[in-house]
Amino acid sequence: MKPIVPKKNEPVRIGFYICHCGTNIASVVDVEAVAKYAATLPNVAVSRTYKYMCSDPGQELIQQDIQESRLNRIVVAACSPLLHEHTFRKATEAGGLNPFYFQMVNIREHDSWVHTDRTEATRKAMALARAAIQRVPHHKPLEVKKVGINPNVLIVGGGIGGIHAALTLANAGKMVYLVEKEATIGGHMAKFDKTFPTLDCAMCVLSPKMAAIGSHPNIHLWTYSEVAKVDGYVGNFKVTVRRKPRYILEDLCTGCQECVNACVYKDAKFADEFNLGLGKRKPIFLPFPQAIPPVTMIDPEVCLNFKRGKNPDGSHTVSDKCKKTCVEACGDRKAIDFKQTQEIKEITVGTIIVATGFQIFDARRIPYYGYGVYPNVYNALEVERLINASGPTEGEVILRNGQVPKKVAIVHCVGSRDENTNRWCSRVCCLYSLKLAHLIKEHTHAEVYNFYIDMRTPGKGMEEFYNRIAEEGMHLIRGRVADVYPDPNDGATGRLVVQAEDTLTNKILKIPVDMVVLATGLEPHPEAESLRRMFNLSCSSEGWFLERHPKLAPVNTFTDGIFLAGCCQGPKDIPDTVAQAGAAAAEAFALIDKGHVEQEPNTAYILDDCCGCKSCIPLCPYTAISFAEDTKKAIINETLCKGCGTCVASCPSGSIVQNLFEDVEIYSEIDGVLAEGLF
Amino acid sequence: MANATQSPLPNSTWKPRIVAFFCNWCTYTAADLAGVSRMKHFSNVRIIRLMCSGRVDPQFVLEALAKGADAVLIGGCHPNDCHYVEGNYKCLRRYQMLKRMIADMGIEPERLRLEWISAAEGEKLKRVVNEMVETITKLGPLGLPQKFEQWDREMEEFANHVAARDAAAGGGCAEHGTNTQPLETAHA
Amino acid sequence: MVALLEPAVVDKATTLETLLETPAGKRMMTCIQCGTCAGTCPYGEHMEFAPRLVINMLRGGFIDEVIKSDSLLRCVACYACLAKCPRGIRLTDVLLPLVKEQVLVTRTEIPAEFQKSLENMHRYGNPMGESPRKRAAWTATAGTKIPILAEVKRTVDVLWFVECYPSFYARGQDNCRAVAKLFQALGVDFAILGNEEKCAGECGQVTWESGLFESLAEDNMKLFKKYQFRRIVTADAHAYNAFHFRYPMFGLTQPAEHTTQFFARHLDQLKPRLTRPVNRTVTYHDPCCLGRATGSYDEGRALLQAIPGVKLVEMVHNRVNSICCGGGGGGMWLDTYYKQKGMERLSERRVREAVATGADVLAVSCPYEISRFEDALKTVPHDKPMVVRDVVELLAESLA
Repeated sequence: MKPIVPKKNEPVRIGFYICHCGTNIASVVDVEAVAKYAATLPNVAVSRTYKYMCSDPGQELIQQDIQESRLNRIVVAACSPLLHEHTFRKATEAGGLNPFYFQMVNIREHDSWVHTDRTEATRKAMALARAAIQRVPHHKPLEVKKVGINPNVLIVGGGIGGIHAALTLANAGKMVYLVEKEATIGGHMAKFDKTFPTLDCAMCVLSPKMAAIGSHPNIHLWTYSEVAKVDGYVGNFKVTVRRKPRYILEDLCTGCQECVNACVYKDAKFADEFNLGLGKRKPIFLPFPQAIPPVTMIDPEVCLNFKRGKNPDGSHTVSDKCKKTCVEACGDRKAIDFKQTQEIKEITVGTIIVATGFQIFDARRIPYYGYGVYPNVYNALEVERLINASGPTEGEVILRNGQVPKKVAIVHCVGSRDENTNRWCSRVCCLYSLKLAHLIKEHTHAEVYNFYIDMRTPGKGMEEFYNRIAEEGMHLIRGRVADVYPDPNDGATGRLVVQAEDTLTNKILKIPVDMVVLATGLEPHPEAESLRRMFNLSCSSEGWFLERHPKLAPVNTFTDGIFLAGCCQGPKDIPDTVAQAGAAAAEAFALIDKGHVEQEPNTAYILDDCCGCKSCIPLCPYTAISFAEDTKKAIINETLCKGCGTCVASCPSGSIVQNLFEDVEIYSEIDGVLAEGLF
Repeated sequence: MANATQSPLPNSTWKPRIVAFFCNWCTYTAADLAGVSRMKHFSNVRIIRLMCSGRVDPQFVLEALAKGADAVLIGGCHPNDCHYVEGNYKCLRRYQMLKRMIADMGIEPERLRLEWISAAEGEKLKRVVNEMVETITKLGPLGLPQKFEQWDREMEEFANHVAARDAAAGGGCAEHGTNTQPLETAHA
Repeated sequence: MVALLEPAVVDKATTLETLLETPAGKRMMTCIQCGTCAGTCPYGEHMEFAPRLVINMLRGGFIDEVIKSDSLLRCVACYACLAKCPRGIRLTDVLLPLVKEQVLVTRTEIPAEFQKSLENMHRYGNPMGESPRKRAAWTATAGTKIPILAEVKRTVDVLWFVECYPSFYARGQDNCRAVAKLFQALGVDFAILGNEEKCAGECGQVTWESGLFESLAEDNMKLFKKYQFRRIVTADAHAYNAFHFRYPMFGLTQPAEHTTQFFARHLDQLKPRLTRPVNRTVTYHDPCCLGRATGSYDEGRALLQAIPGVKLVEMVHNRVNSICCGGGGGGMWLDTYYKQKGMERLSERRVREAVATGADVLAVSCPYEISRFEDALKTVPHDKPMVVRDVVELLAESLA
């Protein structure tokens, strides 16, 4: 269609459209009455209702009217502009008008969905429509600003979600920076033994992907590193990454571990983090055999060559008191550097994927389960390590006293579905508990008792898995465990009694067991709050990162160019995490492939009336405003301006104008919403 | 004169008119969330979307009150969460000023409210809107436009009165030199 | 802990019929039937209708069957079900008392001992049927003048509400003498109500008969209105509970404190005076009405640890997981009934745990516990001598 350029002084002709949205709007708002009312307002040339304005026929209606009725302004009353403003701007443009001759009225989210009284809701719709109809004559034709996208991607978190997203993008030829807080990637999945419902070995599927990350030419892997600062915006984020010293030069270390063997500590005697303290390591160590990068690190808190305690800035001081047998063993490779300090890296990326994962619930918060008090009470992740062939017991499920448990209780919902701790269902515990029941029975032939509230096994193959485990002869008891305490008849052996009501038989059970496994739930990462601030994300009240839309934008965030993957967004299992990571990678890729982002032309500019008082200059958070010495007036750099309008509100002479949010437009909205008789 | 400061009495059909200025990123989205979650609330709050609470020009608030709003609600992102770094903080400063200013104008400070409501806080939005409607219902109408009209009438009457008196004194406009004369007469 | 009693969730006028409409009742609609309440209930295995089932019978409209059974005669109001409930459902203080009241109205056979004590409370203002005129008789043995509000005729800082067991029982009076000694050492401006005082009405919210509780509360409230005082301090955890949660509904405006809370608050002044060592290993029993009901776990322990020479050890079940002495919710007067029904005495279960710690002293802070645990120690075998002492008694012992 040929573009319509409104002539100067051409009368304003508004097309007003109100959407039924099926019955979503029309059942509460009398749309016909609103359309009739709108028709009476000045400048309105066409006023219509339609079943679904966002549908193709709805949009065509607008285009047709523009051409046939010579409309030059469009107002659509429908859902939230955050949902369909873009759609109708496109329709306006397709009709031949500048897309910014359009204004949207939110009568669904802000009206029909939140009110019940038909009269009141209809009046509100009329007032909001009037505001838009009064506003739109002041609209000006504007151009969408296009900004190029930096093709590099930052992925935060090297668990299975981050790994999958990184490989997807790197294989597509994008440069990926993968930042992981720990010394190795792999996350929680690397600690699991087998995965439900297929019972395939976690490391067998994960380690090839980890190795691929380590050797991929398109991936910069920065482990033992943290994102310190994020500036900029979609397409052009400036990110500062802090690489903590591991006292080993990554490029020079070959992963031979001769330094570990040579350490002056002949025996490993420090709690091994990867095995949750169930095993021991030396001051110089490889986090676990398949660690990526396969590079050792030194723990300065225990290494003899460091002074004890941190300096106020968090660094450690070399004591030079050790014989440094490790350095000797390393020889010509010279990979050990006790003087290594933290390194600050600054990178520019166009998009970011946040995949920072979760933490397991600290079972000490439920004192009556005895975690941390009775040695035979374990959390599920510890048991994963006990079962794992590369774990501290080389796959033998044995208690701390070396005995094999004959009776094991698995307690579901520890730190889930509980008002006293976390209210949500952690989604994976029922299934991993069934898996652990199977694995424990397989390893020990023990009697296994699963205490559950509700057995939740949705998902492909999950119910079948439940069926299979039940068939194996597990005791499945429907009742939440109320108490765990040492067996009064057998206290010295460390045997515990698990007390619960079997709610299906109305019996109180007191079952003596050798081992209690707490199926601890998932909770937001402790650093989620600081990450949220840094990336300008939103969190649900529980602390999970909030997706832009729970159904239609599950990996997007409210910040353009930042996407979510995995458990940082909410508890989920491995298949869902990988699916989400793939989706996040695809979203990032779609942005990069487009090559540019379109920015709302809602920037501000300065009128000639500027008196040069400079009061706006310090207000701009983007330093977009400067002072032109020749004209003695402020000027705004349009590429830096993000369109917040703070300067506009502060200008004492009213000499700053914000496109799309001009003073006159807002004043006419104020006048419109306050229309007489519409309250 | 007593009538001039008296608010028109709330009648049975009166409902508070509240204009809300919500930032695009947090509070407007929270209002959308309240919608998606079908959280029912009063219909008296009319929302105007701005990109940032920092865009709220104090004159918008005064204009809304002057045009007949009984109260104004401003919604922005929580401190440290502003999409534009610190626009909400700028808004807070203007709000503090406005609070004092409207109090000086004889307007109850409750008629202006600033709330930080994040995109996740649909529930809070509902609560704030309902609280605000209840508070303003108790306070009754502000009715600035009616007051303006009344003040205009009084000014006009006063001007007429002065004109009539001057006419009666037979002197037209008082001369500069005799400026103090009518005052003394008035006091006497 | 989620559940502390806010007046908003319980209304004096709430009945079983209207309960599900109240905020507390709406919570009951969220019950997931997990059985934590029944599993943790000390007598859960002896109940035909354990708390979980009570909720479901109420929701299903079958509560009459619960009322006909004797299940709730076996509830000792220990707050365990409420404290652990993952939905924060108000069992101990809202649902169960309403059911109990109906049990009392409907059941033909009420255990005689229990019936008698309710009558005594009604007639004499104390459950043991002692003469109300002898309520203040213990003051003669206090070793110091105990001021009585009716006589001092001025505003006092602390109204010391003595309660029935400390007033009439010999071992309870030991507690009184200790409190008096500590008050004096701290220079507290206090007075008691003397013979005018009546039973506070047990925990108030766990009483069997709301009419009885109301009449006792109204009598006491008349006295509280008559005299001027700034706070109530009581050594009875049950009375404290009633003052803290229920009496405000009857117009009590002054704050209430338990003696352990009061002395813990004044520990800085008290500590220099605690000079005489008490070289004993002590284990502390959390009273239900202080611990689970109000979250006051630390005060008793802080006081014990302030005594020179005391070594504090913990029983297997402590704090939120503590086991009731069996005296609450009317259990004090149902021992014979429980025995008939073949139920283990909870005081014996508790004392066995105390003995297992190897402690010399079982420290308590509720007057019911003294007699219950001393009785239990007579039947539970133990190699090493063990005594039961109130925390305030140990404090007084340590005073120079």
